[in-house]
Amino acid sequence: MSPSQVLRYAVGGLGVGLIGLGAWLVTAEPAPGAVLVWLAGALVVHDGVLAPLVLAVGLLIAGRPGRGLWRGALVIAGSVVLVTLPLLLRPGPPPNPSALPLPYGRNLAIVLAAVATGAGLLHLARLWRRRSQRRVGTDG
Amino acid sequence: MDDMTFRVPKPPIRFLSTVRPPSFGGRLHDARTATVVGRWLGAAFGVCLLTGLVSHYLQHPPVWLADRLPARPVWGYRLTQGLHVAVGIAALVLLPVKLWAVYPRLFVWPPVRSVRHALERLSIAVLVATAVFQVVTGLLNIVEWYPWSFSFVPVHFAVAWVVAGSILLHVAVKAPEIRAHWSGRSSGTRALPAEDVADRRSLLLAVGGAVGVVTLTTVGQSVTPLKALDLLAPRSPDHGPQGLPVNRTAAAAGVSADGLARWRLEVVGPQTYVLGLGELRTMAAAQARLPIACVEGWSVDADWGGVRVRDLVERAGGRPGRDALRVTSLEARGAYRVMEMGAEYVDDPLTLLALTLNGQRLSLDHGFPARIIAPNRPGVLQTKWVHRLEVL
Repeated sequence: MSPSQVLRYAVGGLGVGLIGLGAWLVTAEPAPGAVLVWLAGALVVHDGVLAPLVLAVGLLIAGRPGRGLWRGALVIAGSVVLVTLPLLLRPGPPPNPSALPLPYGRNLAIVLAAVATGAGLLHLARLWRRRSQRRVGTDG
Repeated sequence: MDDMTFRVPKPPIRFLSTVRPPSFGGRLHDARTATVVGRWLGAAFGVCLLTGLVSHYLQHPPVWLADRLPARPVWGYRLTQGLHVAVGIAALVLLPVKLWAVYPRLFVWPPVRSVRHALERLSIAVLVATAVFQVVTGLLNIVEWYPWSFSFVPVHFAVAWVVAGSILLHVAVKAPEIRAHWSGRSSGTRALPAEDVADRRSLLLAVGGAVGVVTLTTVGQSVTPLKALDLLAPRSPDHGPQGLPVNRTAAAAGVSADGLARWRLEVVGPQTYVLGLGELRTMAAAQARLPIACVEGWSVDADWGGVRVRDLVERAGGRPGRDALRVTSLEARGAYRVMEMGAEYVDDPLTLLALTLNGQRLSLDHGFPARIIAPNRPGVLQTKWVHRLEVL
């Protein structure tokens, strides 16, 4: 075996060892079954809900001109929504007056509007540049 | 690719022949995209593991380490825990992108080719499940939402090892593919369609932009100069009594002003003594500017005034620099009612039994009449409503 092969097997072996350590720590918990349910749920919700949703949204803009820009705006907006969701969906009052003190719905709207505005301005800038390039082309 | 040469075997049951996995015509579901985003994500998980371990061992040090934990730098825990949460939020953005790049592989046909292939797919399932679990439970923890029946801290700690191990195993298994797509000029990258290069750059720019936006709109909860941009973080530096957020109110801890009427501080050591609040106030000449840095990632600097803990320990006949301290709170319930502090913290001149915050008497929610404030320590160990110090 070459040195890089040895390293590869060593890294893999260390990985298996750490997985074993973590699994053992999970089974030592009072409710390992609940952890397993949440782990399986994480897999199912990602692979069965989030990923198909992202692909479906991707289909909406597939093949459109300037797709990269709209995809960028959607990636940013989607990420912001993902991070904000727990703040919006958490049931019950905040745990204390200084926790969760901001108007998150309004702030999310502000950030999304800023992302949309930024994407719109970039789009206009591109149109304008393309038009002026075409004019330069016909003049020359 | 070996997938291309493998012929689909005739299904043994007729109706299965009509069942086919979905096909993916979209671009960028390739190893180069996966390698680039995977590198960022791997680094993010690495930072989260290291900073998480720092937090874990600051809170639960083994015996040999307890008296050696350093009280400096003052901002140490503020930095590591702020990073833990900020990088965890960035990972929440990177993880779905990485999984999007490789999602078509979920539907490879046939689903299992060999024992080795089955094991590899199983290890990927473990990696995906534990990685998603870690970022989601972490995100729910910082908004203090616990919709599960297990205990967050030990489970987040345990699953962190499974994620770390799964990532190492994944890197080992995929090493040849990672190497072939490491740079833009690597052999595997050059074998991919050339027209995808600009498209991939545009996607990666968008992902970088997404990480930037979620970071800028949340990191103000730990980086106070950016507080004006703090729109979506669970905490805001200015929101709280006396201009400082609180994690646990007096009401939640079962402490009331009535119960404090006959408050006395007891300092137990070779020469035990008891102090009233008036006496303590006449002794309070020390000042320190120290952050409250919470395990949930937020942190704020404040000016504290009070008595140096080392002076109180010395007066009880303790030896600062050698003796540890046990601090007991008046709170009726709570996992941190009794806190132990290693010798380095006891000895540090910035470690105070604080009576004032930003020039005002401590409010009840900030630990009136007296609380601990020490450098480089998690907020849960900055014990409030202190009534007993015991030299160990």
